[in-house]
Amino acid sequence: MKNAVVIGSGISGMTCAVKLAEKGVSVVLVSPFPSERSQSVMAAGGINAVLPDNGEGDSVALHIEETLSGGGMLAGRKAVTGLCEGAAVVIEYLESIGTVFSTDESGRPLRRAFGGQSKRRTCYCGSSTGKQIVSALIMEARRYEAAGLIKRRLWSCFHSALIKDGVCYGALLFDETAGGLTAEYADALVIAAGGQNALFGKTTGSTQCDGYTAGKLFLQGAELKNLEFIQYHPTTLETPQKKMLISEAARGEGGRLFYIEDGRRVYFMEDRYGPRGNLMTRDVVSREIFSCGRQVYLDVSFLDRKLIGRRLPEVRELCLKYAGIDIASQPVPVSPSVHFFMGGLAVRLDHETNIRNLFAVGECASIYHGANRLGGNSLLAAVYGGMVAADAIAGRESGTVRPDFSAYIEDEKRALSKLYGTKSSFPAEYIRGMAAETLSGDLGIVRDEKTLAKGIKDIDYYLSIAGKISYDSSVMMYSIYSLTGILSLARAVLVCALGRRESRGSHYRSDHPETLPEMGYPTIISYDGGRYAARLDREGYYES
Amino acid sequence: MKVKILRRRSPADESYWEVFDADVPGEMSVAGLIDHLNYRDDIVDESGIKTTRIGWECSCLQGVCGSCAMVINGVPALACETFVRDLGGSVTIEPLRKFPVIHDLLVDRSVIHENLKKTDIYIGKYSPKKPKSAAAGEKEQIRQYEAAKCLKCGLCLEVCPSYVSGRSFFGALFANDCYLAAARNSESADKIKKHYSEHFASACSKSLSCMDVCPMHIETIASMSALNR
Repeated sequence: MKNAVVIGSGISGMTCAVKLAEKGVSVVLVSPFPSERSQSVMAAGGINAVLPDNGEGDSVALHIEETLSGGGMLAGRKAVTGLCEGAAVVIEYLESIGTVFSTDESGRPLRRAFGGQSKRRTCYCGSSTGKQIVSALIMEARRYEAAGLIKRRLWSCFHSALIKDGVCYGALLFDETAGGLTAEYADALVIAAGGQNALFGKTTGSTQCDGYTAGKLFLQGAELKNLEFIQYHPTTLETPQKKMLISEAARGEGGRLFYIEDGRRVYFMEDRYGPRGNLMTRDVVSREIFSCGRQVYLDVSFLDRKLIGRRLPEVRELCLKYAGIDIASQPVPVSPSVHFFMGGLAVRLDHETNIRNLFAVGECASIYHGANRLGGNSLLAAVYGGMVAADAIAGRESGTVRPDFSAYIEDEKRALSKLYGTKSSFPAEYIRGMAAETLSGDLGIVRDEKTLAKGIKDIDYYLSIAGKISYDSSVMMYSIYSLTGILSLARAVLVCALGRRESRGSHYRSDHPETLPEMGYPTIISYDGGRYAARLDREGYYES
Repeated sequence: MKVKILRRRSPADESYWEVFDADVPGEMSVAGLIDHLNYRDDIVDESGIKTTRIGWECSCLQGVCGSCAMVINGVPALACETFVRDLGGSVTIEPLRKFPVIHDLLVDRSVIHENLKKTDIYIGKYSPKKPKSAAAGEKEQIRQYEAAKCLKCGLCLEVCPSYVSGRSFFGALFANDCYLAAARNSESADKIKKHYSEHFASACSKSLSCMDVCPMHIETIASMSALNR
């Protein structure tokens, strides 16, 4: 193919764009803000790879098994095998473009043990792995921008895809500065728009990742997968701005969780799971904190001050800065928060969706993580997925005839023009806020049929009024036209969670606590004229 | 508290001041404060007159993305890292002054990226010079790690007495990217140093105010001395 449009300029979008440019494919890289603002920069932990010098008896086969079992055996074996086998190439590539990894004396990336893994296979860059990868990729992308192969379109937001008869021909973009819709035609459209955390209000992630792109594409016929699987991070600090993530390292170094009853501390994780109880997996700890039903604290103050200064400097700085709490002398109030989305656009092994020439990579694509994600696998999937999609696109022939989209574009322009110039002061943000409250309440860590059904009813109400209200148009137009897509995605997530009448990975149903072997398949949901149809992918359509 | 904000509807309009009243906790950041003003039922100024919502940019809200750079009580800073408790009883908020305003506190900082693109500063292929000793290598590694944390937020340009609009002098963030690219690819170091001399070293007045405002605490002076070597 000769050209592609990439929506989103975080790690997966940039990787895909750079790899396409390397192969001579022209790319338009679209994002309202520059790559430095992407959520990718917040990924701290690291990136998994079994390298030849890993030692400890580690192997790619073990990485595959741990990824599959960590994901509740829901991810496809072929996809995960590709990911883990490709990991060494990913690290080699990131090193070659100058990513500043933390290295040993001979210059090899250091590795640590991370979330849910038995071996030390997580390469890292200090405490800002995502940021360091972003910085290296920005330079590489800039190189191809200077060469004319990548063109960045800033201040542009995704509006919709140009799809006809199951084939995608590009995207319609909204320019926030010029204020208009423009079509960007291409042989392939790659979605790299990130997760859906803003669906839940202010979580640990970026306010920019709201799931609109997936929601809109769903309404346009793209299938979504495994939406019910949402990873909660057990220890976040609530501030007036957002929920700040307190790294697992705090518990790794010996931090203890407790609540207070009758003036006494109850170390509930240790009481229930023994001395290493505080280090149970994210979903278990999150559920236990939730079931306490009262404020839980994380305490590291009994640790040696020097050790805190040396091993937990970021945690200390964060708590001091945002809550005025010095972890060296006081416990920190913590609560679980939405953190990562295993679900998203359903893609096959080459990252193509069910719509031809429409691809998805990074957190917005659902392929490698199944029902739960290992720490260090998200950065790996972001880079690896970008590479795979670029290979697939570069290796294909361009289509010949492009259908006429002018009527569709005119209709959309007319619809948008109605949103301008209103006298209303009602912000679209309110509807988003109500939806976020619904999702946070009814699609929480512990779910049941009654609350999920109520959630769907509430979202249906918001959907029924969202299009009829006049909104304050002094804000970014995107926040208004994105409402229906976001609400539709919210509804789809609830429908998937209602349909999975079992507990698996991060999805826990108090009315169906058991894991059912007959439900060991991914959920696929499609939209057809107002009908949200969820099914299990028993045939493994997306494993091909 | 009184919140005074310099506003502008669009590049074609004139700027104007607007004052708001807000009653917020001291632990709230200025980012939280703007959000608070925007999402009360109606947005009204201090006299109770209805006005429009304040345009601004945010993403991470915890000091690692550089979106919310602005001038707060005369000091260039990230709104998400500036707290109400440190402001005294009132606050004045302005957009960064060295970039074209798009809307209210939203500015166009694309010149940062364009200048780096124009001069073709990139690593390309990792091939560093062999360090003189293990200790020197470790020190270099830490410096490069720090330099790569640059947010491209523009605070260093805002505060710099030599930086005007980025036509010839490109500022501290340019020097730091030059350092990172030259240090990690010794083969292109000479070419990069030329751009560094032309667009930074020749005009830098060495006030080093850039280092005072850098949210990542990047030691631009260390980048400079490495490139001057």
